[in-house]
Amino acid sequence: MNRTLMGFIKKELIQTLRDPRMRVMLFVMPVIQLTLFGVALSNEVKNIKLAAVFDSKDTVLRDIYERSIAGTWFIPARSKERDPFTMIQTNDADAVLIPPPGGFTRALGREDAKLQLLVNATNVIQAQSIEAYLQNIVQRTVMDDLKLTLRNPPILVSTRVLFNPELETSVFLVPGVMCMIMIISTMVLSNIAIVREKEMGTFEMLISAPISRSEVIYGKTIPYVLLGMSSVPLILGVAVFAFHVPMRGSLIALFIAAFAFVCTAVALGTLISTYCRNQQQATLAGFLFIFPMIMFSGMMFPLENMPAALRWLSFLDPLAHYMGLLRNIMLKGGETDYVVTHIAYLAILAVVSVVASFRRFHTTLE
Amino acid sequence: MKNFVWRRALAVARKEVYHILRDPTTLGAALVLPVFMVIMFGVAIEFNVKNVALAVNDSDQTQSSRRLLDTFGSSDYFLIHRVTSPHDAVTDVSAERARAALIIPPRFEKDLFSGRGAEAQILVDGSDNSTVGPVLSYVGSIQNMASQRIGDFDPTPPYEIRTRFLFNPELNSRWFVIPGLTVVVMSILSILLTALTVAREWENGSMELLLSTPVQPLEIIVGKLAPYGILGIIAVVFVYIIARTVFGVPFVGNLLVFSFGCLLFIVTYLAQGLLISVVTRKQTIAMQLSMMSGMLPANLLSGFIFPIESMPKFFQYFTMILPARWFMQVARDTFLKGSGLIELGVPFLALIFFCALMIFLAAQRFKRDLEP
Repeated sequence: MNRTLMGFIKKELIQTLRDPRMRVMLFVMPVIQLTLFGVALSNEVKNIKLAAVFDSKDTVLRDIYERSIAGTWFIPARSKERDPFTMIQTNDADAVLIPPPGGFTRALGREDAKLQLLVNATNVIQAQSIEAYLQNIVQRTVMDDLKLTLRNPPILVSTRVLFNPELETSVFLVPGVMCMIMIISTMVLSNIAIVREKEMGTFEMLISAPISRSEVIYGKTIPYVLLGMSSVPLILGVAVFAFHVPMRGSLIALFIAAFAFVCTAVALGTLISTYCRNQQQATLAGFLFIFPMIMFSGMMFPLENMPAALRWLSFLDPLAHYMGLLRNIMLKGGETDYVVTHIAYLAILAVVSVVASFRRFHTTLE
Repeated sequence: MKNFVWRRALAVARKEVYHILRDPTTLGAALVLPVFMVIMFGVAIEFNVKNVALAVNDSDQTQSSRRLLDTFGSSDYFLIHRVTSPHDAVTDVSAERARAALIIPPRFEKDLFSGRGAEAQILVDGSDNSTVGPVLSYVGSIQNMASQRIGDFDPTPPYEIRTRFLFNPELNSRWFVIPGLTVVVMSILSILLTALTVAREWENGSMELLLSTPVQPLEIIVGKLAPYGILGIIAVVFVYIIARTVFGVPFVGNLLVFSFGCLLFIVTYLAQGLLISVVTRKQTIAMQLSMMSGMLPANLLSGFIFPIESMPKFFQYFTMILPARWFMQVARDTFLKGSGLIELGVPFLALIFFCALMIFLAAQRFKRDLEP
């Protein structure tokens, strides 16, 4: 590496890191965020407000209600004396159990027991879980109270959850949040860095300076690759030590994946910057890219649910490969086939975007 | 605040409008971005898991085991492919070729006919939490179906539960996501739009010029907010139209109530962006800060996907300082539940409070900036 380039990279790093607020943004904020989201978010169903309309003689329904409240899923709804529908509409309850006239216990004796369950379905995922869970509780309580024993079905499909048996949300989410933080800090920063010089007019000076075009390109991209890579051990440390996300696979594979990803992101940032004139445009354009990238990465929504026509988009999405690799390497120990294939995809994407951005950059410089 | 002169505020607004109009890319992006995001999300999102890739190892190879496989295959939930050993089935899960593995042991049919009860095992990939729950519940219902069909087992319970899913009877994922999406889109757009405006003026040095004129801080703020506010409202209208026409999301509430909520939220977030802009004075940092304080919380802590009730106690209170959380409730409840101003009293009071607070803080900071 020659001295001009070294000087350029140094200038770029100094320029970015000079501002103490920028240092905080780059190195402290990701850690805070990861911690915040890792602690706060979960898919578990908790604190659902349950109400049941029963009188003192309806012992089975009372048992069902008490059993539900005893677990962590449900808490008692505040008011009891009103119309069930209104209770849900005003957010006083999320689910209401309504017995048939005369009470559920009596109806069970008549063998015509129809229990009605109203669920607030504005949150689709929760509504389904609530229904399944309550059905289970009703079944067990009725069996216990009527002293029936449940016959074992002749076919039993036993289940085991691999890789994350406790279904810890942080184990699933932290790799995703890692990806999100990394793409913002690499793609957006490299994009803005170039556009800023254009906007301030210092870009002209760079061009007229006695350095070659390649040096300008390298000097404008390498610092951001370095910055992006430096956040990997930081975020990984928090994930593993604070959230006990397992690290079962090879660190080397993970760093190779991260490197390919960061290169792609910086190259894309550079490519976008050539089309933008000011920082506001750059930011908006950055979003136009980042948003679909997150959507099709499988971070929030499983990819197999998407229409097949859209699923191939995830092949073009570097974030999808990186995300899959992170989860596979960290949680599953990295299956060789998978890791190699997807690192290869990432590498191809990296090469294509680097070449495309360099060519485009050259034409802009002329 | 000495005297607020509308004429001066309007002059600032007019200047800002010129800024926006002169830059058609930004204008286009600001209007296209929300539409694009809603369509993307609407098409891509489906929480009802289907087509789960299932690797099957059938070591029994009998009629019963085949009928069990048929039950899995015909359920619409699973896509079956066969592998030759239990070990391969697990490898398929590690290599992301399958989400779950079904292993049928050699004595399956014998155990079934002898009355001991036949057992098969399902191994589910736990690395993607969002699919585990649904897969487990499918397995439960398939087990019952198979017991009925193959083992002549009919455990009709002495009762019946009738569930009514209120406000979204068919459990349509889009009805759940798209109203919430309005909030996310608005928060990203509005905070980004303003975060850069004041910072840009500082960087370009034109702020000095603006400050040497007799314009008051509040006038600058109102003048800067109004044009972007209108841009935000136009974007909301687009999003609303797409939600109703393309994705068929119902709107049972009062449009006026919803619009009022939108307006409050947009102004709050625009003011927050302005505050960031005033404080940082640098576009790079303003942008990073607005993403951290606006976009990520609006996405993750507002109850959009992850329910607030499931958070630890501290965070349940913490989310109360996020306007996005309150607007999320307004958007969902007006769209699906048809709630009015009275039911939404608390969220609206909170939004009004934050709106006033943000404008006040921005004006306050501005004033201090003005003094040498």
